[in-house]
Amino acid sequence: MNMQQVVFPKSSANGFGRQRGDREVGARLENKMQLGKSNQGRIQTTGALAAGKTVGNESFSRDRLVYLTTCLIGHPVEVHVKSGSIYTGIFHATDAENDFGIILKMARLIKDGTLCGYKSTTEFVSKAPSKILIIPDKELVQIIAKDVAVTRDGFASDPQNEKYQEILIDSAISQSRHVEVERELEPWVPDEDDLQCPELENIFDGPWNRNWDQFETNQKLFGVKSTFNEELYTTKLERGPQTRELEKEAMRIAREIEGEDTQDLHLAEERGVDLHDDFDIDEEMRYSSVYRVRGVDDSGYEEDEDILLDSHNIETFGDSYDSLSRSADGVRMPSSSSLVDDAPSSQAAISEDLNCSRPNDQARQLASELPSKSFSVSASESRIRDKLLGEHGGSSDGNEFPEKQSVSEKPSSSGKLSEGPASSKATDEMHSASSHGPPDSSTSSNSDCVGTVSASGGFGLSPSSSMGSLSSEKSTLNPHAKEFKLNPNAKSFTPSQTPVRPLSPVSDGSFYYQTQMSPLPHMHMPVSFGIGPSFPGHQPVIFNPQVAPIQSPQAYFHPNGPQYGQQMVLGQRQVVYCQPEMQYKGRDY
Amino acid sequence: MEGEEFAVGCFLSIKTTLGDEFEGQIISFDRLSNILVLQEGLESGPRRNIWLLKANYIKEFSLLRQDEDPLDVKKCFLDLTSLQAREDSAIRQAEADSERFGVGVTSEAQTLFDALSKTLPVRWDKTVIVVMNEVRVSSPYLPESVSGGTPAANERVRKVLEFERKRMQTRGTSQ
Repeated sequence: MNMQQVVFPKSSANGFGRQRGDREVGARLENKMQLGKSNQGRIQTTGALAAGKTVGNESFSRDRLVYLTTCLIGHPVEVHVKSGSIYTGIFHATDAENDFGIILKMARLIKDGTLCGYKSTTEFVSKAPSKILIIPDKELVQIIAKDVAVTRDGFASDPQNEKYQEILIDSAISQSRHVEVERELEPWVPDEDDLQCPELENIFDGPWNRNWDQFETNQKLFGVKSTFNEELYTTKLERGPQTRELEKEAMRIAREIEGEDTQDLHLAEERGVDLHDDFDIDEEMRYSSVYRVRGVDDSGYEEDEDILLDSHNIETFGDSYDSLSRSADGVRMPSSSSLVDDAPSSQAAISEDLNCSRPNDQARQLASELPSKSFSVSASESRIRDKLLGEHGGSSDGNEFPEKQSVSEKPSSSGKLSEGPASSKATDEMHSASSHGPPDSSTSSNSDCVGTVSASGGFGLSPSSSMGSLSSEKSTLNPHAKEFKLNPNAKSFTPSQTPVRPLSPVSDGSFYYQTQMSPLPHMHMPVSFGIGPSFPGHQPVIFNPQVAPIQSPQAYFHPNGPQYGQQMVLGQRQVVYCQPEMQYKGRDY
Repeated sequence: MEGEEFAVGCFLSIKTTLGDEFEGQIISFDRLSNILVLQEGLESGPRRNIWLLKANYIKEFSLLRQDEDPLDVKKCFLDLTSLQAREDSAIRQAEADSERFGVGVTSEAQTLFDALSKTLPVRWDKTVIVVMNEVRVSSPYLPESVSGGTPAANERVRKVLEFERKRMQTRGTSQ
């Protein structure tokens, strides 16, 4: 029989790959061995051996030997040598042509035969692994390999193992000595024929446009019956007589939206707006997910809520709102605090951050400076206002309230405080306002009360601003404002009626301090403000700066009465969400 | 070779000149290189323990029985690419592992290193175990040999070291 030997690649430190490339495709071996699954499908032949040993048993056994040693490639083996030493390493190659010297990679000496066993194991000193270890045939005693995949079944299970092992983690790659040179990173450029991924456009064609139905294919190939119904996941388009008009309308709206001017880089890019080679905008700016605010010192997340609140405010306050809403960016706490100035001395004691000293007429100006964003501020402010409104009820001890309280946290806008006294006059407005919810009501009431109606209107809105500043992490608070002092003797606030709607669960952050309350003429507020009984589990809380975060306060405002509570809110720099629809049904004072 | 013919399939009990004793079934014997290929044990499963033994180191052997060829030739396949891939990945793995083995250190030191590495980031710096990049433990790797690092880190390494040594001792004595 004509047999070709399958010979192991030459034992050479250059490795396997080179050898393979050199060999030609030989005749297939006869029944002794088959090479399967090999991409290259080559048989390494060695002329010498083939010539000499083609006969009978020896080649047979040699074949087997070669086969088995081939099976060992990449396998960890233990090699015993004549001296008694034992090496362990990865089997790399064997010199099949001559004798059978072998080559190990990453070999380590486990047992040193030269020590003759005299030294105890504890003293055995390890050696560095050698990258390549050649063990000549003369030294070789035996090779032991465990769990070698010998037959096809073994190989079949092997690839799976390999796949798992091949999951390289970054550190493995980076530390691997194979990578000697640091790669020069290049930005990816699409191939010439990519043409901006034309196939993407096809994907969103309707199924009737595609020539391939995935469900059908799946069924054919695997017999899987699909229960996919597109309409489960999307609104069904009613294609009726109105279709054409609806489509037109939709297109129009889409165009409008897409054509909008936007400051957002990402949106701009999506809409195809060229960024005019603004060199400030590098890749990071364009594609990073880190939102870096440019020139505005509030944190961006409030923006969305502002819009909501603003719209409410607009309804309530109309023009006065406008002036406010145009308020400047970035001027937050200081301006809001200045709004407080109007309030009488009762607020004076409040935190230093708020500048109480400004006259009322500046309030409007400041109010206008307040950024219209910052929902959170407005929420908190409205709370404050409402508190003030609610709690005042015309009692004369309202004055105590602001003075004794000490604000431990960042002061919130005291804008509302100034409104306190004002609100006493604004019964009517209160009514109307209350229907809109706390922020609105307090605002409207304020508009009457404090000397400058518009200012208070502004106040109403300024909550938004001050809220924004409050919730903003940046310290727009006036660091020089007086500290808020708690009045422990103030009357405890108890709402007499539950609000209609429970507040959204922003309980933790709903409080902020009015750090400085300018004295309000009619401030008779008890220091504490309670949490409405409507909340299950809430209890009326006497405001106490040492108390752990109070649950979300409900803005209470009495629609009828001249109640201006000074709302004390812990300035914990958290967002206060005011439910615009929350209605305070009245409180007896 | 002493002229003995080793038939495939023979089940032998072999004693080597190095003192190893085992039983295995002959897969092949290559006279030219004098290598006897044995399969340890009886399993004919896909994975076996393979023994390649130079026949001249056989001190004595005895034939236990004659079985059939343990190697089913029809099932023998070689996938060179996957072998190569296996080798590459093994090498990578070994390289990664080599970081873990100290050079020129006693096995006791290595054991301590391994124990420390279970909970702390450790690496070798010649014969010094470096923990958390700041605490150094040098020979003889006693708690007193711990130096460097913040007091807290130092303390921690010391404790772990003590604990490990105690464990080693009890393990040693119990065996």
